[in-house]
Amino acid sequence: MSNDARMPEKVLYVEDDPDIRSIAELALRDVGGFTACLCESGAEALAVIDDFQPDLVLLDVMMPGMDGPQTLKALQSRPQGLPVPVVFMTARLQPAEIEEYLALGAIGVIPKPFDPMTLADEIRRLAAAGAS
Amino acid sequence: MLNSPLQDPLADRLHALKQRFVERLKVELVSLEAYGQKLEQQDVELESMRNCVQRLHQLAGSAGTFGFPEVGELARELEKRLKTEVEHWPDNAGAGHPGAEACTGLAVQFRALVARMKTESAEPVPDRDQAATTVIDEASLHGQQVRLLVVSDGLSELDDLVKELSRYGFNVLVLGLSDDRFSETNRAALLDNVATAICWHGMVERVARQVSGHHADAWPYLMPLVCIGETGQFEQRYRVASAGARAFFPEPVDVPELVERVETFVEEKTSRVRGRVMIIDDDRELAEHYSLVLAAAGIEPRVVNDPAQLLEALHGFEPDLVLMDIELGHYSGVTLAGMIRFHARWLSLPIIYLSAEDDLESQLQALSGGADEFLVKPISDDYLIRSVQMRCQRARQLSELMNRDSLTRLLKHSIIKQEVERERLRSMRGDYPSCAVLLDIDHFKQVNDTWGHAQGDVVIRALANLLRNRLRESDAIGRYGGEEFLVVLSNCDAPAAEHLVGRILQNFSELEFAVGEQAFQVTFSAGIALINQFAEGDQAIEAADRALYARKRAGRNGVMIYDQSMAGRSLSPADGF
Repeated sequence: MSNDARMPEKVLYVEDDPDIRSIAELALRDVGGFTACLCESGAEALAVIDDFQPDLVLLDVMMPGMDGPQTLKALQSRPQGLPVPVVFMTARLQPAEIEEYLALGAIGVIPKPFDPMTLADEIRRLAAAGAS
Repeated sequence: MLNSPLQDPLADRLHALKQRFVERLKVELVSLEAYGQKLEQQDVELESMRNCVQRLHQLAGSAGTFGFPEVGELARELEKRLKTEVEHWPDNAGAGHPGAEACTGLAVQFRALVARMKTESAEPVPDRDQAATTVIDEASLHGQQVRLLVVSDGLSELDDLVKELSRYGFNVLVLGLSDDRFSETNRAALLDNVATAICWHGMVERVARQVSGHHADAWPYLMPLVCIGETGQFEQRYRVASAGARAFFPEPVDVPELVERVETFVEEKTSRVRGRVMIIDDDRELAEHYSLVLAAAGIEPRVVNDPAQLLEALHGFEPDLVLMDIELGHYSGVTLAGMIRFHARWLSLPIIYLSAEDDLESQLQALSGGADEFLVKPISDDYLIRSVQMRCQRARQLSELMNRDSLTRLLKHSIIKQEVERERLRSMRGDYPSCAVLLDIDHFKQVNDTWGHAQGDVVIRALANLLRNRLRESDAIGRYGGEEFLVVLSNCDAPAAEHLVGRILQNFSELEFAVGEQAFQVTFSAGIALINQFAEGDQAIEAADRALYARKRAGRNGVMIYDQSMAGRSLSPADGF
């Protein structure tokens, strides 16, 4: 149990594409057993994060308005900061970009397209690696 | 129509999402094709190419998730190449566009991508292209798939409404009028799976023009259009009505009322094509022919050749209508009709005789046996379809009236109870798990006392609509008591039911019921019992009831599955619930 205590249970996912949100909801809740909150924009994430209190935040990189990295910065610059791990999701996976995201404080990057059946495992794997 | 009882709910939903993505591919491929053609003609400008890169990027990131990895790969390669072109775009207009060679190369890649998308999007959707039929994709109408189109001119008036509707479980698509998905070529694909369009009253004429240009079907279906307005003055309403809108809601929008209206539109659309017809004819070939003709018109046929199997088949299939030959070997259709009428359940089932008998007197004689009408053979296919469709619809309306609760339009108490037993028998035959779920709104008396009975009714209707929206067509939903609902989840085990109901609870508890300046929220408790564990449907309902009470005792606002330890406890009102 002591290991599991660090495992995320509540995941906040910010993604502008509604179809991806629907399938991610299925992948996170039904397949993964997470409690999930899905936001369509960085602004919405900022508005709901205090109420939802996630254990982990998933951010799509490319979004209109505030993109993923900007959303991360906005979340971090709140008075209470962002005390939980962050994972980016991106369709363009270049080594330089991964470096950049890790430098921003993300614990990992999940490439898109993701497989709805294994997305949750991948998140747990990153969270376990990030926690150790 | 696919009826695969062995699919689990997750697979069903994945499938539905995939179907929806296919619709998106169809729309997307048209615009990508257009970009490809422009490149071919070297007619390109920076802005549209940037836009195209964006689209390709999205496609690259999503197609694989929905099971179309090749489309994703092709899009990714194209995105990379096009992005390089865009980055090296000559900054004065004189140089114009990428070189002719690059354009041709890109155009070839576009063609490959579009071709792939066409193949992929054509495959998984059967029934669509049958001539002269209006088969509506079930997934687009049930479960979570009711899609609403909000047409907005970029102003934010409807933003809150969009959020609110999403909370009710609708899939809301927001588009500007100039979006390319409204273009002549894309429109049909867009409108095909939208149940209702909603817009601000000021743009009603323009929106009406966009959504009504959809007459390709033999029986044209006009998309219902709902307008939202500021005040609801006579002139405003008149203008909206003359543009053909079906409803007008003044601000602030009464969302439960709007949801209710949308539900009736969805039902209207569904009932146009659905219907189950049992065909009893000992001429196998003829029966097969009727069956094919009706199936092509979206009606679900079932052929029974042996009259001895008739009653059993009726129970299994539950038709809306029976078509029966009047002479079936040594059996008489008239006598069989009389036998059907022995059962109270089938008293209102329409029976139509098919016969070569054209003597009116003999016809009348036959009808007195309990059937409703004669169709004289030979019958033209078109006549058969139309007469069956008309009667199915009417039969549905009547059974609606008889079997449904007037406030919620859910099944009445006695009918949903029977449904549990029927599902128990079905699931035993099919050897799959099914659940009965009893839901009870928490502190409902308090809602009534604090906010009035009218608000109480709004809450009940909201839960009814949410259930309808979130459950599948194959599930049965009934109003069991005042604020109690009984749901039969077919082909769904207890943990899956718990998940599903938990999610519905979460959505329900997020709904805000506004009364003047104030608003309140409500939760429910639910008990689940696996129907297959019991020897009678009623026992399953009682078990669900015990689980519900256990949940209430343990603190409301949650879901509990029945287990043996709950069996002995008393359910007396002395417990205070």
